Amino acid sequence: MHEKLLIGRLIDTGSPVHRLDPRAKLTAMLLYAVMVVCARSWLALLCLMVFSVLMMALTRIPVRTYLKAAKPLRFLMLFILIVQCFAVKGGSVLVAVGSWHLDSAGLEAGAIAALRMVLLVSFTALLTFTTSPGQLNQGLEGMLKPLEWTGIPAERLSLMTGIALRFIPAILDEAQTILKAQASRGADLRELPWKEKARMLTALLVPVTVGAFRRAEDLTASMESRGYRIGAPRTRYRPLVWGQGESWFVAAFVLMCLVIVWIGFY
Amino acid sequence: MAIQLEHVSYTYDARSLLRQTALQDVNLELAEGLLTGIAGSSGSGKSTLLQLLNGILLPTEGAVRVLDMTLAAGKKPPKLAPLRRRVGLVFQFPEQQLFAETLEKDLMFGPVNFGAAPEDAAARARKALKQMGLSEGLLSRHPLQLSGGQRRKAAIASVLAMDPDILVLDEPGATLDQISRMELTSLLHYLCREEGKTIIVVTHHIDELLPYADRWVIMHEGRAVFHGTRRGLVDEAERLPGCGLSIPQPIRCWRELEAAYGLQAEEPCLSPSALADRMVRLASAAAGKERVYA
Repeated sequence: MHEKLLIGRLIDTGSPVHRLDPRAKLTAMLLYAVMVVCARSWLALLCLMVFSVLMMALTRIPVRTYLKAAKPLRFLMLFILIVQCFAVKGGSVLVAVGSWHLDSAGLEAGAIAALRMVLLVSFTALLTFTTSPGQLNQGLEGMLKPLEWTGIPAERLSLMTGIALRFIPAILDEAQTILKAQASRGADLRELPWKEKARMLTALLVPVTVGAFRRAEDLTASMESRGYRIGAPRTRYRPLVWGQGESWFVAAFVLMCLVIVWIGFY
Repeated sequence: MAIQLEHVSYTYDARSLLRQTALQDVNLELAEGLLTGIAGSSGSGKSTLLQLLNGILLPTEGAVRVLDMTLAAGKKPPKLAPLRRRVGLVFQFPEQQLFAETLEKDLMFGPVNFGAAPEDAAARARKALKQMGLSEGLLSRHPLQLSGGQRRKAAIASVLAMDPDILVLDEPGATLDQISRMELTSLLHYLCREEGKTIIVVTHHIDELLPYADRWVIMHEGRAVFHGTRRGLVDEAERLPGCGLSIPQPIRCWRELEAAYGLQAEEPCLSPSALADRMVRLASAAAGKERVYA
């Protein structure tokens, strides 16, 4: 289970991207999301793909690993493809069965939508692959801080996301512990029929939920016992530093964003 | 041989960037009907080794032979259920492994999965519960209503209820109080001697298991650096600090005694009472000698 779930895991290769200020990476991801939304033609998607692969190469993590991150969503992508095929009509008729017909425009729209999804999910994995949850959190807080006058509780939000991110692997581990114990007592998920499999997985819900609450309580107690208070002034062990590298990184994304938007207009 | 490991290596996440080698070229032969203790510092591969024994993990290199089954790297494993019926594994932190609505259901889970009739499974659950010294009144409770220690004992009972031929336990005594730990150790000793079970225990309390274990395996950085009898462990005790372990007190005492009285190749007495007996005999022999000289 662990091996399959790559999202949310740091893969430290020590590349320059790993060392960037998390705020730069977060900004870049937002810009990337804009690009994915704006890229509606094959040309735009091609440009975006080249750009993505270049950026991925900078992190020294193989592209294959990024694609694996998108793998858990393959059924959702297939679903999007099928819905588009049904919904969008126009162009030439490719297949006709009775009154229903698959149009070239539908297939094209479906393929583009699915491809955009792959790009979005696999590329944004770059953020978690290259940034530790702690840094990510600090980055998020740094970005929300200027908005605090509007009433956005930056510190609370970043604390919440930080804990949530930290809990994903912890809860998976907990589920896996129970699954292993069950397998060892003769109920191996890999060897069970589908119906039994579902029953075994639902049996996990209660202990894993209870485990998560227990963990949360322990965490709260241990943070409070070490003097953590919401809103108290705190210093940083590693302050965020925005240097030239960060500016260039974001500039590359801004530029690419303009290119994609420009392609969209012409 | 109950268990045979040939050039076994295990690597976590073998095909990704997060690969981590836990075991390297381990060769071991563990005989049937013996109680084997496994020790080693944290991260030495003990838990990984145990999980290979009933097919929870499959070796990335080499072959694991358990009873009449072979789990070899790169080959499709056979159906694992028959193996798991005969090899019961108590994981580390067993208190996290209970999941059924009542303790009784949890204890019956194993036996029922391996084809026992419900009445038979219930009887086995009761027997296992008694063996672990828990009262039957707990059977109707939700596992989460039990205390930490009770949960740990219950999880061990859930494996005992399967009545496996080989019982493998990963630090079963951690977090138990000393009395419960001693009771557990003597239960394991009983199961080994009287019921002929093969027992493999990972422990951090080497001194407590020393009087009972027939064989010892010392793990260090993914390798089995020592495998032998109690006598062998006493002779090679100097190697323990190099493996991140301290020399257990009973071994220190015995070696001092050996040095003081010039004892050689004698079966070491490693429990306090055996050691006291031996000292009394040595003292009276010495007294006898003195009388002769006088």
